[in-house]
Amino acid sequence: MASRTNKIRPIRKPIMNRDQGEFEPCWALLRDAMTDIHLQNAGRLSFEQLYRASYKIVLRKKGALLYERVRDFEQEWFRDHIMPNIAALITKNLINISLLQHPGSSSHERREMGEKFLRGIRDSWTDHNRSMNMIADVLMYLDRVYTLETKQPSLFAVTIGLFRDNVLQSHIGTAADDIEQDFVVFDILCAVILDLINMERDGDIINRNLVRKITAMLESLYETDDEIENQRLYLTLFEPRYLEASTEFYRKECEKLVQEANCSTWLRHAQRRLNEERERCGTTVSIMTTDKIASVVEKELIEAKLDVFLAMEGSGLKPMIDNDRLDDLSILYQLISRVDSTKSALKVILQRRVRELGQEIEKALKNTDFSVAGAAAGDGEDAGEAAEKAKAQTLNPAQQQTAAAIKWVDDVLQLKDKFDRILSDCFCDDLLLQSAITRSFSDFINSFNRSSEYVSLFIDDNLKRGIKTKTEAEVDAVLDKAIVLLRYLSDRDMFERYYQKHLAKRLLHGKSEIHTEKEMVSRMKSEMGNHFTSKFEGMFKDMELSKDLTDNYRDHIASLGDADHKKVDLNINVLTTNNWPPEVMGGGTSKGEGAKTDCFYPPEIKRLQESFYKYYLKDRSGRVLTWVSSAGNADIKCVFPKVPGKETGPLSKERRYELNVSTYGMIVLMLFNDLEDGESLSFDEIQAKTNIPAPELMRTLASLSSVPKCRVLLKEPATKNVKNTDKFSYNAQFVSKAIRIKAPVISSISKVEGDEERKETERKNDQTRAHVIDAAVVRIMKQRKLLAHTKLVNEVISQLMGRFKPDVPLIKKRIEDLLAREYLERVEGDSSTYRYLA
Amino acid sequence: MVLRKDQLELKLKDDEQLIRQGILRNEHPFEDSPEFHEFIHACRRGDLKHCQELISGGVNINGKDKYDYTPLIIASLCGHYELVQLLLESGALADPDSFERERAVYNALNNKIRNLLLSYDYTKTADPLQAWSSHITSLLVREIPKTTDITLLTASESFHLHKFILSSRSPYFRRKFAEAPETATWKLSHSIPVEAFRVVIRYLYLGELPRDLVGPRSAATEEEVFKGIDKLCKQLEIAHLWEAVLSTTDRRLARQRHQDEVQRAQAQVTAYFRDTVLKHKFTVDTRRVRDVKWPRDNAISANCLLRADEFDEFDEGEGEDVVEPAEESLISSNGIPIGPIAALNSTNGTSNGAKKPKRSVLFPVHKAFLIRSPYFETMFSSEFMEAKETEHLHVIKVDCLPEVLEIILTFLYTEKSDCPLELALDLLYATDMLLLDKLKTKAAVAISTLGSGTSNALVDRTHGGAADELQQSPPATSTSTPSSGQQQTPGSSTERDGQPVEVEPINVYDVIHAAWDLKVQRLEDFAAKYLASRLEDYIDEEEFAELIQESASRLKRREETDTIELLDDIRYYLGERFRFRFEGDGIGEMLNEEGEIDAAQVEGLAAEAEDGEIRPEQPSDGQREVEGEEERRSTERDGEEGGGGVRTLDGKLVEDEFVSDAVNYQILLEKIDKMLDRLKLGA
Repeated sequence: MASRTNKIRPIRKPIMNRDQGEFEPCWALLRDAMTDIHLQNAGRLSFEQLYRASYKIVLRKKGALLYERVRDFEQEWFRDHIMPNIAALITKNLINISLLQHPGSSSHERREMGEKFLRGIRDSWTDHNRSMNMIADVLMYLDRVYTLETKQPSLFAVTIGLFRDNVLQSHIGTAADDIEQDFVVFDILCAVILDLINMERDGDIINRNLVRKITAMLESLYETDDEIENQRLYLTLFEPRYLEASTEFYRKECEKLVQEANCSTWLRHAQRRLNEERERCGTTVSIMTTDKIASVVEKELIEAKLDVFLAMEGSGLKPMIDNDRLDDLSILYQLISRVDSTKSALKVILQRRVRELGQEIEKALKNTDFSVAGAAAGDGEDAGEAAEKAKAQTLNPAQQQTAAAIKWVDDVLQLKDKFDRILSDCFCDDLLLQSAITRSFSDFINSFNRSSEYVSLFIDDNLKRGIKTKTEAEVDAVLDKAIVLLRYLSDRDMFERYYQKHLAKRLLHGKSEIHTEKEMVSRMKSEMGNHFTSKFEGMFKDMELSKDLTDNYRDHIASLGDADHKKVDLNINVLTTNNWPPEVMGGGTSKGEGAKTDCFYPPEIKRLQESFYKYYLKDRSGRVLTWVSSAGNADIKCVFPKVPGKETGPLSKERRYELNVSTYGMIVLMLFNDLEDGESLSFDEIQAKTNIPAPELMRTLASLSSVPKCRVLLKEPATKNVKNTDKFSYNAQFVSKAIRIKAPVISSISKVEGDEERKETERKNDQTRAHVIDAAVVRIMKQRKLLAHTKLVNEVISQLMGRFKPDVPLIKKRIEDLLAREYLERVEGDSSTYRYLA
Repeated sequence: MVLRKDQLELKLKDDEQLIRQGILRNEHPFEDSPEFHEFIHACRRGDLKHCQELISGGVNINGKDKYDYTPLIIASLCGHYELVQLLLESGALADPDSFERERAVYNALNNKIRNLLLSYDYTKTADPLQAWSSHITSLLVREIPKTTDITLLTASESFHLHKFILSSRSPYFRRKFAEAPETATWKLSHSIPVEAFRVVIRYLYLGELPRDLVGPRSAATEEEVFKGIDKLCKQLEIAHLWEAVLSTTDRRLARQRHQDEVQRAQAQVTAYFRDTVLKHKFTVDTRRVRDVKWPRDNAISANCLLRADEFDEFDEGEGEDVVEPAEESLISSNGIPIGPIAALNSTNGTSNGAKKPKRSVLFPVHKAFLIRSPYFETMFSSEFMEAKETEHLHVIKVDCLPEVLEIILTFLYTEKSDCPLELALDLLYATDMLLLDKLKTKAAVAISTLGSGTSNALVDRTHGGAADELQQSPPATSTSTPSSGQQQTPGSSTERDGQPVEVEPINVYDVIHAAWDLKVQRLEDFAAKYLASRLEDYIDEEEFAELIQESASRLKRREETDTIELLDDIRYYLGERFRFRFEGDGIGEMLNEEGEIDAAQVEGLAAEAEDGEIRPEQPSDGQREVEGEEERRSTERDGEEGGGGVRTLDGKLVEDEFVSDAVNYQILLEKIDKMLDRLKLGA
């Protein structure tokens, strides 16, 4: 044979003896070692020896047998050594209390017994866990090679799992003779834990550490030996029961609270419970449950009776808002935002309350108005200046209205402040709630039909008074508030109209500081856009140009060197028609008649006008100037000669006064220059000579003859009201402490409109709107050429939203009008579609 | 992050400057060898197979051609994703801060390649010492099991450290610990800030140095720390630390520095390991191991003794296979053993007549290194005897030969593994038990390459043998296969009885059993290949048949139609062994799908050769029997020469090797079938 191959082959090395008989001695070694490990005698065992034994077994392909044997050994161990101890712990009493819920045992007793049982379980678990770890160490090779290869669960998982099968899920039926039923240890365990936790909820002190150990044990055990993550016993068995028990507990607690407590205690209680449960998850149960138990509390304690609590008389949401219980509100907000991200319950009540409060303001306003109007001359119960004025002089409706407007605005702003505070302090500036509140504010403000006017009046009042009394910072704050209100207004064109009117008056009469006005307008501009304020800016510009013009004209006159001793100083405002309200421009004023007819100016004035016109046209040919006599005023230097017969007192000297009167007043007074002492002019004569419209004249004469401090004319008879038949004469006896006297303007354009005027304003406003809508429709149709009715209406609305809320019938009417004027036509066969006609 | 082109060029300039200044090593030297050109060309084509061959042939994977192209850049530029992957896995450098990587990224043909380059973690693959150094670093924070044996105390902090590591890394510590081996705590100077100690210790344990030496809350200023470090450097004689502290800013420099440091540390630890562990190993009578008492405070700070028993044939009946001259005579007298048991009995019975007392070798070792094996880690972490602190060191038995244990220890301490073939199988078993996968793989590699780089054991010896006969001079050179090298085995051929005797390097039966026992796929493949390459030697052995049977039984509940894994592998390699040459001449077409040779074609071919002596095979049963008889005769190599012809395994003379291959292949396949019939294993 050797000669056949001519090769030397190395001798085989029997590294592993393939002797079958070696298993038993190795196993015997391991078995003894396992017993020692269980008895905590491992210190004398040699790891090396045991490992080698198991290694040999596995290498000889006896892994499966070893695996079986170890499992059987552990099973036996449970049966013979562990279960008897556990069974001893499960007394009849324990079962009675935990499972059958027999009454009549004190919580202390129950706690003692339960904890003893838990301790027993915990100790056997700790022992088992330790032993299994050591055994797994020894049998490491088995787990690394055999179980991995055969895809079985690791030995450690299997032996640890035995605790589940042999202890937790074992049946104790015979522990006590008179219990017929069969009990699973796990059920008892679970009941004991839940009982302990409920005790703790009721304020007892329990051994948290112990419970935590047990739940940790349940966490490290799995349903099967494959150790699937979401099949921990804790998750599959314990947690559902725990949540169920908690649900039950909190449901009861909530019902009790509904009957016994008020909203505020409920809030605090719920908050405390939430914190407690979170803490409990960390210390007693398991962090895995944190969110789930929180949602149980949320559902049972917060959500279930939320509406009942919120509606509670005296402590619900309404009183909270009214009494500014900010703490309660913030807790409430926190709780509600946990259960409902839309916070609808809170939102609905909040919105309703805002609207209610808004309507209350309106109602209060009506009542106040009425009372002031009722006691026209007397004591207005109304707070503030309205009442003062009412005392000082008879309060005319205009002033009443102003006061009402200011009160309304103040109240609304106060309300707004209140809710802003709640929103920022309690509701974390929640956007949802913010928009809800904003919406309700805008709802009730717009439902009040004079809101635009009132806001404008409020601004007017503040700006006028702002000159004297308020610091810049205060004015700033007021303006801010006004802008806030402006945001809520939907009919902005109405506001624009009012504001224009009020602004014109302030400007022409120099009643406010120009830079404050500009500041205000620029704020509006940033808030509402360019086109909204373009007219106001035009007005400012006119004022500036006029000032220059006046100066230049004065220079021009001076340069002429025309030394006219009767020189009249002219201060002129040239106003662009479009930018200024028609009322001011004199055009289209209320009644219309005589509006255009110019009054007769005295010759001196006439000359002046002509000279200015000539000057004006030098640079700007083709322009037309219309003199608006109703808007001007004049300073008149008057000399009252010494009254004969009076030797002492002011009347004994010649008196010089500067009288500031309206243009009409000036014209009237000039008439009296030419009169002899003692002569008088009747109303009709005056009107004939001046051609001033009767109502204007009436007012002018009233201001000159009836107001004591500037009574330069005497009236016959000396009544309050001016009639057509009255006669007027020069008051030689006039005396005044001041040198400069301002004749009060009794204007027909009152600050606040009467009902009549309101309608007029609205009518005009509607007219303007009609034009705006026309323009919008034409713009849209020009672009689209062909469009269905509803689409057209929608688009018009969306385009005009920024300015006002267009009325659908109005839009319809305008469309019809446009059809009639042949801007549009209906498409044949489809009457609801329009076509644009170029 | 991809650099812009101008940034790229700037990088190249910087890199070149650094290299010129000698600060950085040039990792991409210019290469002009033909192999490298071939490699570059293969990278350009995306020829995965050729590249693989060149890489295993040892071509410089990080070289640079005259256009500054590295293979990696070429491959990524040409868009060969798999090739880029291969290059990276084979150690092509893709250092995130280098010009070469940036260029490869910049040039990447598609996003897939670019992402691959960007995501490639340089540190994981390119550094073979990574596992070793990170183990040492991890010792700093590891608490279980306890491996520390010295505590350095500062005012505010205490460092739990290892005397072995300190001693090997710093001559100062070595002296101090040698003088006073019982030292367990050591108070450090208060004048040096604790931050300085921290840096020094991290350095000694091969950790990354912190970028900022002074934390926000530390009491000392940076200057004080620097002074402290400087002082410690001098005192501990660790000059390189200073360099390390200064090079923390540049990442590349820091890494290169770290690599150098790790290599230096490896050398230090290796030297110290030789000096302590290996120097202090000692041999005692096994029976007297019990009496060995090593105190805990020994001079080399060992905290554990490992015992390995020398080979002893009487207790456990183990045999050792060191082929010694003494044993050759033995073999000659007994002949080559056929059955394993018979072989054991006969060799053991006669090799050493005198009984010598059983001896054990003890190694004083350090747990800090042992726990690199999960086996020891578990052992020392457990509550068993070995983990208990006792007055004297535990003696722990490791079930292997002392020589094997020494290899294992060398690996654990130094990451070096040098495995002689004759110990490879023992090492395989020992590492399997100690759960040392890395070393186990190395042992398997050592076997499967038969201890040397070129796999000469797998050369077809039908040719080598023929050539041998022709030239009459060993070493023989194969003439037919270009890849076959010299037929030189470790045992080498020796002349005996006037004939060349080949000593096989390893017992393939042991290999296959080890492969099955320990689940080493690589060795199963190797064994099949090995068997296929010399099947004619094994096919008739009884033991081979047993092996086949065992392989068949490994598959549980085997069905008639199931295949026998080992045999399938052998058939496959057999096919490869012959087909290699068939394909070269287009004879591969003669193979039909079953791998059988169309006899008619062989006949045609043979007829073409016009050799009168050829008797073409007929696919008839009767013919086969004749061949079977003849073959028995023919395997004995008759010395007569075929007059320029080639003899087949059945002794017939054919015109050339190709025909002989075809015939041989057929013969071997038939033999396998016959054996299966005998074993009643249908396959």
